[in-house]
Amino acid sequence: AAEPWPENAALYQQLKDEQILLSDNASSLAVQAFLQMCNLPIQVVCRANAEYMSPSGKVPFIHVGNQVVSELGPIVQFVKAKGHCLSDGLDEVQKAEMKAYMELVNNMLLTAELYLQWCDDVTVEEITHPRYGSPYPWPLNHILSYQKQWEVRRKMKAIGWAGKTLEQVLEDVDQCCQALSQRLGTQPYFFNKQPTELDALVFGHLFTILTTQLITDELSEKVKNYSNLTAFCRRIEQQYFEGHDKDSSTIAARSAKRSLLR
Amino acid sequence: MAAPMELRCWGGGWGLPSLHPQSLTVMAYAKFSGAPLTVNTLSSSWKAPKEDLPFLISEDNVISQPAKILNFLRKQKYNADYELSAKQGADTLAYIALLEEKLLPALLHTFWIEAENYFSVTKPWFASRIAFPLSLYLPGKMSREALNRILLTKGGPPLYSVTEVEAQIYRDAKECLNLLSKRLGTSQFFFGDTPTTLDAFVFGFLAPVYKVCFPRVQLQEHLKQLPNLCRFCDDILSCYFRLSVSGHSPAGQDTADANLQKLTQLVNKESNLIEKMDDNLRKSPQHPPRKLTTLKLAAGGEESGPFNRLSP
Repeated sequence: AAEPWPENAALYQQLKDEQILLSDNASSLAVQAFLQMCNLPIQVVCRANAEYMSPSGKVPFIHVGNQVVSELGPIVQFVKAKGHCLSDGLDEVQKAEMKAYMELVNNMLLTAELYLQWCDDVTVEEITHPRYGSPYPWPLNHILSYQKQWEVRRKMKAIGWAGKTLEQVLEDVDQCCQALSQRLGTQPYFFNKQPTELDALVFGHLFTILTTQLITDELSEKVKNYSNLTAFCRRIEQQYFEGHDKDSSTIAARSAKRSLLR
Repeated sequence: MAAPMELRCWGGGWGLPSLHPQSLTVMAYAKFSGAPLTVNTLSSSWKAPKEDLPFLISEDNVISQPAKILNFLRKQKYNADYELSAKQGADTLAYIALLEEKLLPALLHTFWIEAENYFSVTKPWFASRIAFPLSLYLPGKMSREALNRILLTKGGPPLYSVTEVEAQIYRDAKECLNLLSKRLGTSQFFFGDTPTTLDAFVFGFLAPVYKVCFPRVQLQEHLKQLPNLCRFCDDILSCYFRLSVSGHSPAGQDTADANLQKLTQLVNKESNLIEKMDDNLRKSPQHPPRKLTTLKLAAGGEESGPFNRLSP
């Protein structure tokens, strides 16, 4: 923990153009945004088996020095131990609020993304199954897809989302976006002047929803209804992602490619 | 709007109107918003409920799940969030998500999975409330569902054994309690002087942890170290639920009752402080006898619970 941040720190995720799914892309982008906000250099490395390499089974994970840390929560703690913290200036009540809002995003937005990807039959057949197993030969691609789908559906059933219809899920997304929009108001970031990990998390999810093309545009329409949220995404993109040439080209290229292929 | 509404839910004990967090949340919200609900608690003479408890019946509509029930009450103009600003409404949603993600797993674990608690308290209590032979099957099913939920949401790698998951969820729950305590600070309710949806949810989750006497009580001990949360639960119990022992207030007398409640709140606060000092002195000798008699007095326990605290 006392070592400085190395130059060759890497962030691993699945293959950007063929394999990665909406929810994983959102999580990965959130971590990238957070590290950019802390001014820590990171290289994005795409591997087909990123999920299996990760210590917790979830992407993204970062490889720093000789340590491997996955998921935004533990990564924030790890970075804090190295001496970089975005939420130092907040008082206790604000920290409690920040944690609560991060849970809201995880609870509603992430679960809704997972639902849309794995429980909505049309999306599963046309987008998720082809993408998830694409790096692997037949029949492994089908087996892995079905296995993951079964796992996600079990989880949905345990938390009570299996009985929801798509309309109800979209309504929940709308409620969540409304809450975020009202909390953001006219401020540049959620806690006024300085960005925090909450801004990174919200950016990751909303930007991915806005720039990913699915079967219908209903999900991104829900976010577009709130103009301060789209302005927020654009502001963070301009400030943290267009300064680095390679990153801006990948983000622009990614959205262009997304609109061509499904 | 004038249609009679009936709420069916799990009954209570240990001074609480209900032991089930979701049922308690709905009951608290109904009291805060002045909705005239007839509360019917499940007893062993009832048929098995088809939907999950709690559920609300109003003119042939059957609504389950607390969020939907609260929405329905709001549409019927029983709105406890009337005075909240948009930002406070957003905060409500965020804190409810925090409660569900961080506190609920530990709550479920304390009630349903911790072996000593489950076999000595939870299972007998719930089994006594349902008709035979369902009482043999339903508590076990609820326990299995709770374990499933915890393992699926919290138990991925690198946490490979149930004990590691337990350690993690209790840590999360204690952190959540600390956050709630910091957010509440010294104010009466979470958003000023009137209780809202968030207060109903927090009360629903905290009160069972606070009041029910379990053999293994690490969460309760942690909660007792946060005096403002304990005071919050006690206030709501004494103001909103002691009055209901004799019956519920009809919708027409809402404002008069609200004023009366505020006055009684102030008076009760003072007497509560004095009682607490008395209670602290008496707590240690009282505990062992309470454990033995709890199961026997389960039926009459709810009535004698609040009254015990009044008589010094």
